[in-house]
Amino acid sequence: MSRPGRDDAPDRLYTLTQGRSRSGPGNPFDLVTLVVAECEPVPGMQSEHTAILRMTEAPTAVVEIAAELRLPVSITKILLADLHAAGRVSARHPRTAAVPDPETLEQVLVGLRNL
Amino acid sequence: MTAPARPDARPAPRALMAVALPCAVVSALAVGGAVAAAPSSVRVPFALGASAAAILLCVAVTAAVHAVRGERTTRRLLEAARAEADGLARDRARVTERAREDQERLRAEAEHERARLLAEFDGERRRLADGFEQERRQLTGDFERESKRLTEGFEQERAGLAEQRAREVARLTEEATRLRERLDRASGERAAAVAATANAAGRMQALATGMLADLRAMEERHSDENVLADLLHLDHRTAQAGRLADSVAVLTGARSGRRWARPIGMESILRGAMGRIAGYQRVRVHSVSDAAVAGHAAEGVMHALAEILDNAANFSPPTAEVHVYVEEVPAGVIVSVEDSGLVMGEVQLRRAERAVSGESAGLGGLTGTRLGLAVVGRLSAKYGLKVSFRPSARGGTGVLMLVPQDILSGPSATDGPTPVAAPSATPTRTGTLSSTPVPIEAPSPAPSRSGAPSTEPPTGPPCTPLSSSPPPPGIGSGDVDREPLPAPESADREDGPGTPADSAGPDTGLPRRRRGRTLAAAERARATARAAEPRATPSAEDAKARAARFSSFRQAVRAAGPAPEAPRDDAPPADPTTAPPAETAPDHPSHSHAHAHPEGDTTS
Repeated sequence: MSRPGRDDAPDRLYTLTQGRSRSGPGNPFDLVTLVVAECEPVPGMQSEHTAILRMTEAPTAVVEIAAELRLPVSITKILLADLHAAGRVSARHPRTAAVPDPETLEQVLVGLRNL
Repeated sequence: MTAPARPDARPAPRALMAVALPCAVVSALAVGGAVAAAPSSVRVPFALGASAAAILLCVAVTAAVHAVRGERTTRRLLEAARAEADGLARDRARVTERAREDQERLRAEAEHERARLLAEFDGERRRLADGFEQERRQLTGDFERESKRLTEGFEQERAGLAEQRAREVARLTEEATRLRERLDRASGERAAAVAATANAAGRMQALATGMLADLRAMEERHSDENVLADLLHLDHRTAQAGRLADSVAVLTGARSGRRWARPIGMESILRGAMGRIAGYQRVRVHSVSDAAVAGHAAEGVMHALAEILDNAANFSPPTAEVHVYVEEVPAGVIVSVEDSGLVMGEVQLRRAERAVSGESAGLGGLTGTRLGLAVVGRLSAKYGLKVSFRPSARGGTGVLMLVPQDILSGPSATDGPTPVAAPSATPTRTGTLSSTPVPIEAPSPAPSRSGAPSTEPPTGPPCTPLSSSPPPPGIGSGDVDREPLPAPESADREDGPGTPADSAGPDTGLPRRRRGRTLAAAERARATARAAEPRATPSAEDAKARAARFSSFRQAVRAAGPAPEAPRDDAPPADPTTAPPAETAPDHPSHSHAHAHPEGDTTS
């Protein structure tokens, strides 16, 4: 546990999300969802939203966003859900169904090592 | 006494005639006879002579008679006059005699009268003198008696009064002594009570601060949404308890809460203030300010804002929103809090103004339930905030708080290794670095609905589609550039076990994959970074800037009072191992920067 008094931002987590701790039923995000920004940040946005939009100019996983923001994943998901509901980010789910057979993977591995 | 009439004082002509006539007759007859007897020849001359003689005779006789008669008259007159003179003399003698007699008589009378009056006057005088003497004796006696009586009474009275006064003085002295003792005792008790309260408040603050840190750590650790909801609830309650402890500490003159080691952006100030009140969900923030409050004053400003917001939220209907506007003016930053609740009357406004003016430093005006304004007053006096009240256009009360320029540190002061409040760890992009203290806004400021905020559509400017531009320049050397910009949280985060966020730190020695790049590219970038390190990272300005920040922070801490918080004093043994001093940074750049958090060293 961190030392007392070293919690280094005065913002409490519930003030970031207006007191919400759940991201709602239609939340498309899980830990590995890739998030892509759909627009530039505009002035007057919450600073976390701005940071997320800057970060997700290239596709970024939810867990990575959470780590960069130094926020719990649940809180990050709520923020992302807000942006998603506003159409400012879109979510791309990794296509887990497309995992090919081990042979292909092996070839990929060989190719990677040859890089 | 009249003069006697003079009897024929002058003989009348007839009497003379009576004398002259017989004489004439007789002479005429004698002359006639003598002439007749005389011879004729002598007759005529004779006759003439004789006639003349006769006439002469007649005149002589008449004259003689007349003279005799005159002499007789004169004698008679003389006689009369003499008699008259004698009479007069006699009269005079008589009158003189009478006058003398009168004088004698009057003198005698006057003598007599004078004697009588003298006797009378003497008697009267004697009588009066006697009466006066008697009166005087009587009065003297009376005066003596009265004087004696009064003197005795006065003596008695004076003795009585003196005795009474002595008694009174003794009583008052005793009373004063007792009161002084009571005052001394009361002062001592008050000082002790205040000190005890301040001490207790300080411990409460430390507990709350520690608990908030623990809760934050737990929130990071538990990903279960139910647990997180409970933790957030506890977090909120603890923050409110901490605010109460802060209030008591401020009122008892203890040092206020915690101290921030770096400037805190306005967004974080407002959020920190919101997080400490019960009705924070009703607060709507409209702010595009990127000002930041200096670290030593941030806690005070936050606390004062929290009290103002709490007032606004408590005194407005439970569904009404409280709007907060931030405006930058030359004198500083004005934060205005507008509610639509109770309208304060003129008297209340004045009373509130007086309460927040910080003039009444005593604890006498406190009522048990209304600490907020007094706390704001103390904090205003301490940090030079100016708070004013006015009726709000929203129907409630508006509070303006001016945060003066001298406790602000503008965005320029917040660059460097400590990005302000935004916990973004993306300083590699030059574009974002300047706008790191991003203007904040509540997610849904404009529409006033009480619904769940998650369903609110954004109301900002329309979404500008991302141009598919390449990443900004500098991303290729990102690992190099981010080296001197360590994340501020890293120093203490590493103390806590299992904080997953820190595994992404730049100096863990593992290859780090950037977003959208392959692992091999990351490896190459790392090699490049190592090659570039000696020239890039440990610049002299960097170390100088750190030293300047360090000294300014120490000054701020010293100026504000006896610095170190009690609860943090038991931490230092763990500290030097994890955080070497910042001045050694140039020697071991790649490792020290991970810990280079100078402010962190000073506060622990």
